[in-house]
Amino acid sequence: MARSGVETSAKSRPSDKTGGSGRWNVASRILAAVPANYLVTSLLTACVARLLAQCLAVNPAEASVAATLLSFAVFATIVLFAFGLRSIFQLWLWLFVAGALGGGLFWLSPGMGARL
Amino acid sequence: MKEGLRQSMALLHTWAGLLLGWLLFAMFATGTAAYFQDEITRWMQPEVTGKADPVASAEGAVRYLQRTAPDAASWFITPPNSRSATTQVYWQPGENAKPAKRRETSAVLDQSGHEISTRETRGGFFLYRFHFDLHYMPVYWARYLVGVAAMFMLVAILSGIITHKKIFADFFMLRFNKGQRSWLDAHNVTAVIALPFHLMITFTGLVTLATMYMPWGIAANYADRSAFSNAVFGNSEDVARSGKAAPLCAVGPIMRSASAQWGGKAVGYLRVTNPGDATARIGATRAPEAAIGSRGEEVTFDGVTGKPLDQSMPKGAALATESVMIGLHAGRFAEYGLRWLYFLSGVGGTIMVGSGLVLWTVKRRSKLPDPSRPHFGFRLVEKLNIATIAGFPAAIATYFLANRLLPAWLADRADQEVNSLFLAWLGVLIWAIIRPAARAWPEMMGLAAGLFAAVPLVNAITTSRGLPASLLAGDWLFVSFDAAMLVLAAGFALGARRAARKRVEGPRPAPRKTQEVMAA
Repeated sequence: MARSGVETSAKSRPSDKTGGSGRWNVASRILAAVPANYLVTSLLTACVARLLAQCLAVNPAEASVAATLLSFAVFATIVLFAFGLRSIFQLWLWLFVAGALGGGLFWLSPGMGARL
Repeated sequence: MKEGLRQSMALLHTWAGLLLGWLLFAMFATGTAAYFQDEITRWMQPEVTGKADPVASAEGAVRYLQRTAPDAASWFITPPNSRSATTQVYWQPGENAKPAKRRETSAVLDQSGHEISTRETRGGFFLYRFHFDLHYMPVYWARYLVGVAAMFMLVAILSGIITHKKIFADFFMLRFNKGQRSWLDAHNVTAVIALPFHLMITFTGLVTLATMYMPWGIAANYADRSAFSNAVFGNSEDVARSGKAAPLCAVGPIMRSASAQWGGKAVGYLRVTNPGDATARIGATRAPEAAIGSRGEEVTFDGVTGKPLDQSMPKGAALATESVMIGLHAGRFAEYGLRWLYFLSGVGGTIMVGSGLVLWTVKRRSKLPDPSRPHFGFRLVEKLNIATIAGFPAAIATYFLANRLLPAWLADRADQEVNSLFLAWLGVLIWAIIRPAARAWPEMMGLAAGLFAAVPLVNAITTSRGLPASLLAGDWLFVSFDAAMLVLAAGFALGARRAARKRVEGPRPAPRKTQEVMAA
């Protein structure tokens, strides 16, 4: 089943040279869309929850829930970008920047006895 | 550039929709049925009639529990709502008690606190739980699987919207008897008409189990989950029994006092910890049907003096949003008019998923190198489609039939009803595997039609509440249920006829122009 998807994508987008051959192109996008996406979304969610609570003095329960509600929209949007962005290099670059930003800010923020 | 994006989104739509499409179909079908879970339960317990008062029922339940489980660690009481007539009780045995099966620590009671004498059934509640807990597998894994499927659905909806060029023009487009084009129209119309519903129901479905799928927002601010739930819902940590006996205060005044705090809205749920002990506590939760927000407010009372102790924290924007999202998903607040709209939107969603699955095969059939001998992937999808789109509804009809036909004395009767659902489903799957698809389609659609048509018939024969009797008595719940079965039967009969006619004519190659449209 996956093979016919790859073939269609390669056929319909002959100008796409940045992603390499069709099979690796799709594999790389799936990797970006699911595991890498979950990692980046988790980091962003934790970061938003922490920053809302610590820097904007939002009630921590409110902050956690707000970030969690947003996370599904973020995850779905990243999936769309993972298959919509033409350049695979750009895709991974954006994922890396978003993950580093979320993870970095989270790491710098004071934890106050939280699990993470 | 723009065409490239549309193509990649079409591809994403196709595969995100297909891979878990069969599970999504079953989730949509049972979720839709669950909007009428109380009514289905009442149909499946035909011996139960009339209404019950929630306060009197709760008091009756306490009397039952004092007789049956005086040493329990806690009691859980769900008095009847406006749509049901029975009280559900469940208790957690005390520390020294032997571990017991769920069936031995729960009961269904009437208003006076006696176990009702009706056939043993899980009723509409089973369909509700299957929607997110599935069956024959650990609940924990089922909920992850269901969550993954819901995210696939969300991605399929969003990529479907981007793919769909003429979303408003196609809104009014439904062409019958045009082969592939008709399947596309059916898919588009059911998707677009109820698009706000599909988006809402999918997103809020994810939110119902949000902290399970995305626990990191809470982990960022709390040391553990219980610290979070204590902050939100009030401290509910179990207190050890003191050993000093003290009589439990009356629950009637407590329910009235809680109700008064919520502007007269009813109590939906009572939790009694350490009953009969000096440390007893009674928690009263607002009825889910009283407001859209489903995370009902809770007030805790001292179980001996009846004085209020603690209440859940007032919700801010995020918690209120979450509560309303979950409430919108479950629709417990909905009156009958809105409830039917929920149901019809759910039916639309089920058809959307089903027609999308069929479209996958219809689109590819004409492009097969040898249409008489399709490759394995194609045959797999085709057979799973038959087993799901015809088979799952047939299985639900079998569940209703089993409720009327299994003898009352049967051991584990409620479980046998559920087993018959899955046996029927398995039967259709095996049939789909061994028969050629072109024959299996009309046969199994016909089977589903016959089973649905048999439901009102068997109901009329085995109970005194058949369609003519309930029409005369003005028993609209039973009338509606039987009528819904007949409508479903008619729908599947129509589908069977179309599938049979198509087999005679053979697959029609789509005109060239249509193929180009489909590729977009």
